[in-house]
Amino acid sequence: MLAGIALTWSELPLDLIHAENLAGRVHERGGEREVRFYWYDYTPLLPVWYEGKLRILRWGNRRRDCRLPHTGCTRRTTIEGGGWAHLNPERVRVPATFGVDRGTWFTVKEGVEGIVVPDEREQPVVYVVCEPATEYYRLMTRSEWMPALLHQTI
Amino acid sequence: MPTFIAHVDADSFYVSAERVRNAALVGKPVAVLGNQGACVIAKSYEMKAKGVKTGEPIWEARKKCPEGVYAKRDFEWYGVLSRRMLQAVQSFSPIIEYYSVDEFFLQVELRENQLDRFAADIRDAVYDQVRVPVTVGIARTRTLAKLVSDTAKPNGAKAIPDRAAEEKMLGRFAVTEVCGIGEKRAARVAPYGVRTALDFIRADGRLVREKLTIVGYELWTELRGERVVPLRRFRAGKQSISRGGSVKGTVVCPMLLWAWAVRNLERLIEELHYEGVVAGKLAVYLVYKAGQALCGEGPLDAPSDRFDLLLDAVRVAVRRAWLPGAPITHVHVVADQLRRERGRQLCLFTQPSPKLEAVARVKREVNARIGRFAVRSGATLPLSRLYQDPAENFDVPDIKGKHCF
Repeated sequence: MLAGIALTWSELPLDLIHAENLAGRVHERGGEREVRFYWYDYTPLLPVWYEGKLRILRWGNRRRDCRLPHTGCTRRTTIEGGGWAHLNPERVRVPATFGVDRGTWFTVKEGVEGIVVPDEREQPVVYVVCEPATEYYRLMTRSEWMPALLHQTI
Repeated sequence: MPTFIAHVDADSFYVSAERVRNAALVGKPVAVLGNQGACVIAKSYEMKAKGVKTGEPIWEARKKCPEGVYAKRDFEWYGVLSRRMLQAVQSFSPIIEYYSVDEFFLQVELRENQLDRFAADIRDAVYDQVRVPVTVGIARTRTLAKLVSDTAKPNGAKAIPDRAAEEKMLGRFAVTEVCGIGEKRAARVAPYGVRTALDFIRADGRLVREKLTIVGYELWTELRGERVVPLRRFRAGKQSISRGGSVKGTVVCPMLLWAWAVRNLERLIEELHYEGVVAGKLAVYLVYKAGQALCGEGPLDAPSDRFDLLLDAVRVAVRRAWLPGAPITHVHVVADQLRRERGRQLCLFTQPSPKLEAVARVKREVNARIGRFAVRSGATLPLSRLYQDPAENFDVPDIKGKHCF
């Protein structure tokens, strides 16, 4: 399962970095800064193109007091089967430069598919859509599930 | 005016090709993984600095370079860039050998004092037009030119036009670094004090010929500055075509083995059609987990590319190579004694079958329109998961027109 994504520094507006206090998530790779969003962060977040602009949303649910599913990913078949229909999910794009799964960083062309649903306080929460891993992805990452990548097959 | 050979070699070609379309990879440790997604087939200089080697499994590479980014191979894209590179270098000489996906040899007539500038011009032109960094080496022969470019990597442009400079360079190379001299060949001349490439060119020619055959002798002559290996401007027709590879684990079940054999036969027929040839001989190679490889030949009355005839031949070939109960790791189907499809000799024993030919034509047309293997043999049904996997829709990285893999 997707453990995190990285977005190059230049992809994120500076005011968003400051407003969302993302400085602690900045890393350097090959001399270039990037912002990393991990599922195992204390507060998991993801950048999302939502309501016409790039926003930073809560990634999935790890809170016991929240009634949303306790996960960061959801299977495509669950969405198609109507498993989220009662929450009226909205399809979104999670922009990413790289993704990481079980320690393997891979390139992401356009982004990852996600859905946004409201929590009990009507705050948007994003879940990453996943599907069964291709044989290639499975060997590369040892993961049985892969994120749904936009216009990209690994 | 003296004639020289220029060797143009892309730097970390697959990685550079990925960087052409993804600028985020520039300056970062990057590796391109092979067909199975398990092995590093190319790495950037940044990843090389961390100790990652070509051929290394990803789990080893990940330990050495946890920040490394892994990209999936895309041979179609590498082919596009390779042809663009060919176009870029074509403006520098009409005599070019398209040696491999990322290497070219050019024959040029220039004065010695023009060589360095010329090498730099080729390097800059390729980068300007294709955005792939290359290294250019110029010398009196192709074997020397290849060594010169090796010394100038990455992104270098260097000419070594005279004997004194050549000897200085050859003294720094182990003889095994000469393309064509591996460990086994080097061991044959080691007892005669041949350690470096310089020792090699100073060895007696008769000894070299005796120990390393005509191939070694040609290399010896080339390294001494005499051109004996000409540039091949046109690719000769293929002698044989094979399709096959790993069965992703092991296969014991005969149904599954048959499915792999038929899959590889259908891939082989695709390539026969592309090349416009028919197979005069058909063989199946089965590689067993225990290490042995067995070959079975299938009989063909006449050269053919017809699925039904080749299928019968494969059936016999598989039976001849199959050891019941022994796990198999690789299945290859090889077509040999290729002939041009047009003008081939017909056979009295093989009846023309307009019906089967029409079926084959429909299959080809449907697959061309809908997608590869949309129509395929029912024998491949045990591999349905493989056909449904979009990551498996690729073939061997054969870029048409080049000489070497």
